[in-house]
Amino acid sequence: MFDLIVFFFFAAIAVIFALMVILHRNPVVGALALVASFFALAVMYVLLDAPFMAALQVIVYAGAIMVLFVFVIMLLNLQHQKEERTRPIQQFLGFVSSAAFAIALVYYIIKFSVVRAASGPFVSDARAIGHSLFESYILPFEMVSILLLAAIVGALILSQRGQSKGAEQP
Amino acid sequence: MTIPINYFLILSAVLFCIGVCGVLTRRNGITIFMSIELMINAVNLTFLAYARELGSLHGLIFVFFIMAIAAAEAAIGLAIFIALYHHRNTIDVDEANLMHW
Repeated sequence: MFDLIVFFFFAAIAVIFALMVILHRNPVVGALALVASFFALAVMYVLLDAPFMAALQVIVYAGAIMVLFVFVIMLLNLQHQKEERTRPIQQFLGFVSSAAFAIALVYYIIKFSVVRAASGPFVSDARAIGHSLFESYILPFEMVSILLLAAIVGALILSQRGQSKGAEQP
Repeated sequence: MTIPINYFLILSAVLFCIGVCGVLTRRNGITIFMSIELMINAVNLTFLAYARELGSLHGLIFVFFIMAIAAAEAAIGLAIFIALYHHRNTIDVDEANLMHW
């Protein structure tokens, strides 16, 4: 019973702050609302017996990625930028189609309820995840590390202000 | 008692559709990016719900990789927006129509 109360409380927080992300005009408020939504999702992960993933969610998403977002918003000085309403028909169609998509998804999830499989004890601590990650998933793990290196180099090259041309041709 | 998996799936579906709505209706590039992150998190929630339901660890590993790739994607995407801002002085995606047919 207590679990259900916690679930509904944090589900409401997640949905309300997610709505604030897409409805608020100011991107800084949107970013902070997204942090709140991510924290509520971390509580969901704890309810799903995955506390290690909840810690990763808080550290990686609410920590690193959202700091990056807020940093870029501040760097580009976007907090005063408001987008004016144009293209009302397209916006209306976007709202209606995504709402219809949501209603259809929820309808079919309720209609075709998932069969509960006979499952063993679910151990999902850091030790079990580490064993799985470094034994059967070692190749994807290394590939992700190379991908992150490529992302660092790509971000550096993309975000410099075209000084490289002048440097190459003195 | 454990919470039924359907509750988590419905929450995940609602969050995903909020993200879709943000991508479709907003024109601020950063806000579109945050909507994409919201959709990625909804998918993560589905993975974890099914991982507990099936008693399998593979869902958690997938969530781990999705988080790593989302970090890389955020870094690259924000760098693209910084470059766009330097060239066009705006991040309104309506203005970024260089590759428009």
